[in-house]
Amino acid sequence: MGFESFYKRFDVDERVANVAGFNPYYMEIDSGLNEKIWMNGRQIINLASNNYLGLATDERVKEAIISAVEKYGASLCGTPISTGYVDLYKRLEYSLSNFVRLEDTIILPSCYQGNNGLFVSIAKKEDLIIVDRFAHSSLIQGIKAVGCKIRPFLHNNLEHLEGILKRSQDYKQIFVVTESVFSTDGDISPFKEIIDLCEKYNALPIIDDSHGIGVLGNTGKGILEEENIINFKGIYTASLGKALANSGGMISGKKEIINYLKYYCPHLVYSTSLTPSILAGIEAVLKIVSSEFESLKNKLYSNKQILFASLMEAGFETTECIAPINSIKTQSKENTFKTAKSFFEKGILSTPFIEPSVPVNQGCIRLIAGANLTQSTIEEACEIIKSVRKT
Amino acid sequence: MNLEERIITTLKNNMERLQEINIESKLKEDLALDSFDILMVISALEDEFSITINEEDFSEVVTVGDIVDRMRAVNKKDKDKR
Repeated sequence: MGFESFYKRFDVDERVANVAGFNPYYMEIDSGLNEKIWMNGRQIINLASNNYLGLATDERVKEAIISAVEKYGASLCGTPISTGYVDLYKRLEYSLSNFVRLEDTIILPSCYQGNNGLFVSIAKKEDLIIVDRFAHSSLIQGIKAVGCKIRPFLHNNLEHLEGILKRSQDYKQIFVVTESVFSTDGDISPFKEIIDLCEKYNALPIIDDSHGIGVLGNTGKGILEEENIINFKGIYTASLGKALANSGGMISGKKEIINYLKYYCPHLVYSTSLTPSILAGIEAVLKIVSSEFESLKNKLYSNKQILFASLMEAGFETTECIAPINSIKTQSKENTFKTAKSFFEKGILSTPFIEPSVPVNQGCIRLIAGANLTQSTIEEACEIIKSVRKT
Repeated sequence: MNLEERIITTLKNNMERLQEINIESKLKEDLALDSFDILMVISALEDEFSITINEEDFSEVVTVGDIVDRMRAVNKKDKDKR
């Protein structure tokens, strides 16, 4: 008996990559995330990573990581509930809680894992989860795992959300789930208004601030600071691998719920703790953010504006947004890959999105110019943008 | 509004982008709806017609006309019950 038909399931559709003559995924990078990265023997401007503040290769962060390795070694070889709960871990829970101004926090191996584990831990089949149509895959997968009624609402559409809330009062508990910054085109949710609706209809708000933490707000504390939300009663999740330049995820909120998750969230309880090096790296980044955020933010937003102006000048159709993201509308899968290929050939690494990451025929290319990019590299990037448009 | 018009209006009210919809429109190919959009449509139809829809009943739906057929069948069942 063979397994031919079973293995047939795993055929990867590479037609678009073949048509474009370019596969933008799993490309090998031979260096760290400096402003230019080494790929296949040449230097490329990195506009693809989520290294918003440019701290992934900061010397102070590296030093903190090396010190942690010297003190704790490579791994904690245990879950946080057992040998993974070192003083560094506990201190970081406290620092992160303080940073986002919430009562308590758990730290997971990734935000994807956090979002996957959250809903199965807190929601029941008789509940309703209302979620923004464009929410991240980690939220959708986490929500689907509950097996309760799911109602998507039109992207950032408060009227549509309120209509659903009005008509959905027979559920035991209602959750409203959204993101702060939607990562493919950089638009920001009207979260304060969503909280108001949640209070009006007795629903619990849940926000994923992965692209907001370390980016939004006057001091980088994310969406809650940006929208001046005080005494947030909902649940907050975020990635520690974007502006905070390490890896992992966090879930924060009221003490009662976080304490419950510490014992009943399987994705936390049964996962080996983040390594000491990562915990120390995050701690170091938080220190830098607390003292240097203003200048980092100015650089980040200045870089974004300069690139935006050159995209406009070159005639690209882009999304206007507040977040430090430039998103070029490329529509079809083929055009998205072809445009990404042109950028790459001329010296820019970008992030192309095609379905199912975005709706069908709404492909886009995201450019994030981190705060570590110098003036001369930004100018070089602008010239490349203009030359790509001409080809 | 007749049944077809009510369904088309419900669809239009639950789509990110305005587009022409008629009875022959294919949900995936013409309207670019994915499984999450269809979930949103099912919930909206439940509200519009005050019924509960089994998501599996929608697994074979291809066109707007298929939705009309499904809703007609649901209405008939409801009437027969009464």
